[in-house]
Formats: sequence, structure tokens, C-alpha cells
Amino acid sequence: MKRTTYILIAAFVILTTILSSCAPAAPVAPQVITQVVEKEVKVEVTKEVIKEVEKQVEVVVTPTVAPTEAAKEIEGFPAADENEAKTAKAAWDAADKGKPDPAWKGKKFTIGVYSAGQRGAISGPTYFFRKNFEQLTGASYDIVEIPFSEMREKIATDFDTGANQYDMIINCSNFYGDYINNDWVQPLDPFFEDARFPKWERDSISPQVAGLYTWGGKWYGSNYDHDAMIFYWRKDIMDDPKWKEAYKKETGEDMPATMATWEDAIKVSKFFNGKDWNGDGAADQGVTLHLKVGGQGFFHYMAFSAPYVVLPNPGDNPTKVTKYNNVYWFDPDTMEPLISSPGHVRALEKMIELSKTGSSAMWGWSLGEAWAQFLSGKAFMTFSWGDVASLAEDKTQSTIMGKWWASGLPGTNEPYSFEKKAFLKLDKPNMVAQQVGCSWHPVLSKKAKNPELAYYWMALMATPPINHWMVTYGWTGVNPGTTYDWFPPQGKAKIEDYTVSGWNENDAKANVQAYADNFFTYPIWQSYLRIPGTTEMQNMSLDTHVSEAITGQLSAQDALNRTAEDWKRVVDEYGKDKLLKLYQDSIGYTPGQ
Amino acid sequence: MQAKSRYKYLFVVPGIIWVLAFTIFPLLYSLRLSFFNARLGKPETFAGLNNYIRAFGDYRAWDTFGQTLFFVSFSVFFTVSIGLGLALLFNRPMPGRQIFRSLFTMPMFVAPIALGYLGLTIFHEEVGAVNTVLRAMGMVNLPRWFSDVWTARMAVVLVDTWQWTPFCFLVLLAGLQSLPEEVYEAAFLDTSSSWDIFRYVTLPLLSPVLFTVTILRLVEAFKILDIPFSLTSGGPGAATQSYSFFIYLTGLRNFNTGYASALSYILLFVMLIISSFFFSRLRKNFEE
Repeated sequence: MKRTTYILIAAFVILTTILSSCAPAAPVAPQVITQVVEKEVKVEVTKEVIKEVEKQVEVVVTPTVAPTEAAKEIEGFPAADENEAKTAKAAWDAADKGKPDPAWKGKKFTIGVYSAGQRGAISGPTYFFRKNFEQLTGASYDIVEIPFSEMREKIATDFDTGANQYDMIINCSNFYGDYINNDWVQPLDPFFEDARFPKWERDSISPQVAGLYTWGGKWYGSNYDHDAMIFYWRKDIMDDPKWKEAYKKETGEDMPATMATWEDAIKVSKFFNGKDWNGDGAADQGVTLHLKVGGQGFFHYMAFSAPYVVLPNPGDNPTKVTKYNNVYWFDPDTMEPLISSPGHVRALEKMIELSKTGSSAMWGWSLGEAWAQFLSGKAFMTFSWGDVASLAEDKTQSTIMGKWWASGLPGTNEPYSFEKKAFLKLDKPNMVAQQVGCSWHPVLSKKAKNPELAYYWMALMATPPINHWMVTYGWTGVNPGTTYDWFPPQGKAKIEDYTVSGWNENDAKANVQAYADNFFTYPIWQSYLRIPGTTEMQNMSLDTHVSEAITGQLSAQDALNRTAEDWKRVVDEYGKDKLLKLYQDSIGYTPGQ
Repeated sequence: MQAKSRYKYLFVVPGIIWVLAFTIFPLLYSLRLSFFNARLGKPETFAGLNNYIRAFGDYRAWDTFGQTLFFVSFSVFFTVSIGLGLALLFNRPMPGRQIFRSLFTMPMFVAPIALGYLGLTIFHEEVGAVNTVLRAMGMVNLPRWFSDVWTARMAVVLVDTWQWTPFCFLVLLAGLQSLPEEVYEAAFLDTSSSWDIFRYVTLPLLSPVLFTVTILRLVEAFKILDIPFSLTSGGPGAATQSYSFFIYLTGLRNFNTGYASALSYILLFVMLIISSFFFSRLRKNFEE
């Protein structure tokens, strides 16, 4: 080779290096963890808002001063602005505090929580209320943040090795199988009647979420987060007569007034995909989803597939779990996986169809990247957690405030019946609620060094004023799930609860109502997998195989067959009989029904 | 004198304890584990050869092994050949040589996991540097770096190449600088062709170093985990999941430590075969 050749090679390498360094900043995607440090709250005049809580407290909402660079301490809270501090103070003052035991003074406990920082989802409130808690009780606590991807192994290793570092863990609901199976956590029921502890309204919690906090009739978790996926779309575009006309012209049908079925949603998404409906001169997308392996795409599948698989029990009690009804994961008599059944396969095929009405890059997107497409007005619809709604209200990340609408997830007119072994044709769609996600909430370690003190914190955070306050501030990552979060007639919240924290009125109504529909209006819900091996079955096997099907490496049937094989192996390895009993307990199934 | 000789053993003891505790014990313990059904939170039961038998029938083990071979083949080829090219280039006087040498070695000092995350911004399909440049050049069908099986695999190879080329470059440059000048002076009397000099003088003299670099890169490449972990999470599907990644998931995510140990021993066995092959070839070359 000649010297010039070497120089050319070197020049190429240098050029590549320079180009890389000139690369645009990291993808313009919102953080997965909501951290609204500079939230702008527009309040034009000083006004007084009376907030109806357990105790009536005046909340004076004043105009927001210039956004702070970082959270500063106001009223003992590391708040972003005065409104946030004042509403938090009001919630704190209104919350029942029981009678803190003087003996707790000087004591300490440790909270394990997933790592999102001091203003991050789920972990944020542990920092936010710490100073006030310490002043109230004289006790203190440490916060140990654990990366999400390592959380299960860290906690399991901690318990298994007897290190018992964590007295309380704000955990994902699907860890329960391990907890119960290994006797790692303790029930909370013995604390409920003790006057020292704050009272929290367990009856106000959606029955689905309450089911995640309990096992075998006992409460192991206290009220915190309430996860479910919600359907979000661009109402301004969908209601535009110009687009309605174009839809009719192109499809020969009227644009559906509501997307009640996934089939409708696919049609609408297909229509808007590739068209410049936002007027920026570039083709836009129909749908945006987070389908990267490890990007929680399996939650999309779980939520999407529920109406294709789960059918109500005929008769007076639609929610009753029988061999064929209200089941999703396994045959409750035999522990045979249902994941490769025709309903599941049809659902995955439909989800693949939907995923093709957006950018193929979404097959490699995580949460933030997928949400960014919707928030920046490039995608017409998405379905995901309530974080999308809170982020949509953050003008630093969103261009769609006041332009979107939300509902519970669509259903289908053609669900699969395990009993008849055939697809049904229904006049009204089969609507199935879900609670996919973690519904993060505290559980108390059986080896907690100061269990009463730790429970005091759990109960305080679970009180309606504090929990509802968290719901109204998106950065906390706490989604609505109680009657005090809903608007009348289902609940008792007021729109001001949300607008004070910066929500657009219509957006707040849409989001809260969508959650209320999911948790209260839908007749049945998809059960939640809470047995040992859940992570391996969901986060590893299902996630990988769904991705294989979506990216065309396998057919939907083959991908789900592989999933079923994996699940059988996991069940065998943990012990079929043992898992069957736990599974039956976790979904409330009595054999023979 | 005798006391003195006893003292020397005393000084060696910490080293021996270290090796026993952190190398030999884990090696033997994992060998034992590989014959057990061992899962975190469950009592261990003897499994005999079941874990090994399962590995040979496990499509995921085979798939990830095949993918690892793909990474190894391309990555070793690219790193060694580009490293050699750069070493030849910088083994001669030229302006700014020291600066370029320093620049070229920089990626080697970055943690692979960080490089993987950096790769995310470079190969991002919408706003990544590579696709932005390609788009500016008028390309319409841009590479789908993370959503297509083969381009995702190539993205992993490219980031790995980026990281490890400096290592090959440094070692080969050192090798080149140690070659005797007089051989070249004699060769220049016979030919003025640079290619002939490279083919018949440089390459044979450099072959022991090339072998060493290749074997080190092979061993390192077979263990690839950090880059696919941070860049693609093993996806789409499991298309960029390497064998080591699979072992990690099996042992530390699914807590199936028995099976993960068996998988690790299979990898160790494969590595021993490859290393033995290379070293026997190297020995033969010297004997010739």
C-alpha cells in the first residue's frame, strides 16, 4: 500500500471522529423518569382555593415567581415553586397523622426505591416529605435508590443472603410471588386499628389496585401508585372537519367518533400515518410505541391483548374467575400457558398491524423516545402510562398541551372464547381494564428493624390528602387510582386540584376520566401475574419473543409458541404444584369453578 | 539463611490467598454449581449433567453462540486490520504523529458500557449522527440501526471495532518498532516495492505479534456483553444477544445460577480449544 492510501484511511477515521463529535445532542426525548424541576404554573392573580380534604385547610395560591434553577426548600419541602410547596403543605396539614410514638425519636429505617432521583418518579416523594416527617416523628430514614433493571435481583439477594438492608421497599407489584413464596414481607393488618398510625382509606382504592396490595385477604402493601395504560390521541386533528372529510374520501367510511375497538384504532392510525397533519412539511406518524427489547414493550402487548383473551363470567358476577373466564396467563386448573392460544395470537397479529402504522424505528425505541414522538406532535396516537399526560402538560417537552384526549384502552368485537374454542362475534366490544405496569407501592420487610416506624411512613404517604397531592403533580410518577382522584360522580376530586399544579383543564378531565373508566367503568379486568418467575416469564421471555414477532423474525404464532415453551420450563423449574397454588391464590380462583 | 528463605514464602502468601480466593475458588465453586439445579431462594438439588444437556438443546444458547461468532469474526477482522493499517501509517515520520497517536487511543480508555450509550446517540435512527449525515447526503432509505436484525448486529460490531482498534494499533505499532532495521535495509537492495517489503518482510516478522493480538482480541470478543447490553439491549428480539449476555441474563436476572454456570463452562471449553489451536499454530511457525 502506498503512503497516500494510509493517509486517506487516517483522514477517513479523523473525519468520522469529527462527525461523531458534531452529532446532534442526544435524542430529543423526554426522560423516562419525569423530572419537572422548572414547571411553569400560570396563575394570574392571587386567589384563595379551599381544598376539600379530611381537614379543611386554606391554600393560598400566589403567582409563580420566575422558575427556580433547582428545587429549593419552601415550607420544609424541596419544592419547585411556591404553589407546589403550599399545596403540599395543605395536603400535609390535612392528612391524618395518628399519634406518633415518642419512643420513635432518634430511630431510623431504610427505604429501597427505584432510582429516579430527588425529583423523579416514585422516588421523588420519599425525598419531598422527608424533612417534615423527621420533624413530626423525631425519627429519620435513609433512601437507597436502586436502578430499575437491577431492582429485583438486588432485593432478592438482600433478602436471600440475610443482609436485610431495606426495612421497607417501594416495590413493583409483580415481585409479590417471590415475597410470599419466601416469606420476606409482613402483613400490615395488625397496624390498622392502632391509634398511633394514620388512617388511610382502603375502600377508596380501585379494587384492581387494591388486589395488587393484598394477598390471601391480607394487606401487604400501602396505597401509593396506580398503574394502567391509557389511550391518548390528538383530538384537535381528529375533530378537524378537513381530516374527517379526507378520511371519508380515502376509506369510504366516516371517521369513528370514538375508537372503541383496536380495529378502529388501527384504521385511524393507518389513515394518519405518512400524512403531514401537523403542517411541518414532513410526513407524520400514526402511532408511537416503545417496542425495544428491555423498553417495556411487553406491557404494550399485555394491555393490547387483554380484550382478545379475557372474557367476563356470564351472569350476575362478571368478574368471577372461572376456568375459562377472567383468565389470561395460565389455565388455572393445569398451569398450562394460555399465551399461545388463538386469542393471544390474533392480538399479537393486530398489534403488529398497528405498529406498522408508525415509524419502524419504534421497534428500537424505549419509553422516552416513543413518548417524545407524541409529545412533539409527530405521532397521532399512543397508549401508555399516565406519565404521557403529565409530560404533555410540561411546555418544555410538549407542544400538544390542550390538544389531546384520552380514554381507557379500546376493546374488540371478536374476542376468543376458551370455553367454545372459537372467536366470538359481539355486538358491543369486549372492554377489559388492565393495570399493566408496576403500581409501585411500599411493602414492609419481615426483618424490618423498626417496623412500626416504617409503617407509620407508609400509612402517612397513603393518606388521601398526601396521595392525592402526589397524583396531581406529574413528576411524582403517581397515577390516579382512588375515588378521591376521580371527578364526580365516580369520585370527589375537583378540577382545581389539578389546574393548580399546572394542568390544562380539559387535559386533566380527559386523563382522570380515562383512569376512572379503566378502574371503575370497565366491567372486567386482566389479572396480574404475581408468581415466582414472573420477571423471567414477562420481562425476559415475552418481551423478547414479542419483539421477534414485531420485527418479522418469527410469526406471531411461532413467537408465542416459544414463549409458552419458556413458561412451561419456568413453571417446571419452580415446581408446577407450588406455582399452581400461588397462581390460583393470586387471581382468586377456586378449583372446579 | 534458612530464616531468610522462610520469609520469602511469607511475602508470597497474600498473593496465593488472593488467587485462591478470587480465582480458584470461584472457578471450582461454579464448576460444582453447574452440576446442580441452583436458583436463588430455592434449595439446591443435584442435576448431574442435565444443565449441560439442556444447553446443547437450548435454541437460545445456539442462537446467541452463532451471534457471538458473527461479532467475533467481524470485530476481530476489523480491529486487527484497521489497527495494522494505522500502525503501518504511524510507524514513519510524519507531522503531528504524536497527536494522532493519542487521539486514536482515546476510545480504548472509555468504559465499553459508556461507549454503548454513546453509540445510541450516534446510531439513533431519527437524530443520530450517522443517519443525519446520510440524510444530508440525500439517502432516503436510511439504515435501521436498532430495528433491523442485521444492521443492529453491524452497529454492535462497529462500536466494538471503535473501542478495540486502538488496542491493536498500539500493540502492532510496538511490534513494528521492534523490527530490525538491517533487514529492511537488505530488502531495499532487492526491491523498491512497498507491497513486497510488507508482504515478504514486515508481515512474517510481525506474525508473532499479530497472532498474539488476534488471540487476545478473540478472547475479549467472545466475552462481548457491555456493548450490546447498553446499545441494543440484545434486540431486536434477541438478535444482538451475545452468549455472555445470555449467561448474564440466565444467572443474574433469572437467578438460574446452575444453568448459567454450565453455560459458562461450555464457553470456557470453547475458548480453550480456540486458544490451543492458535498457540499450536504459533509454535509450529516458530519451529519452522
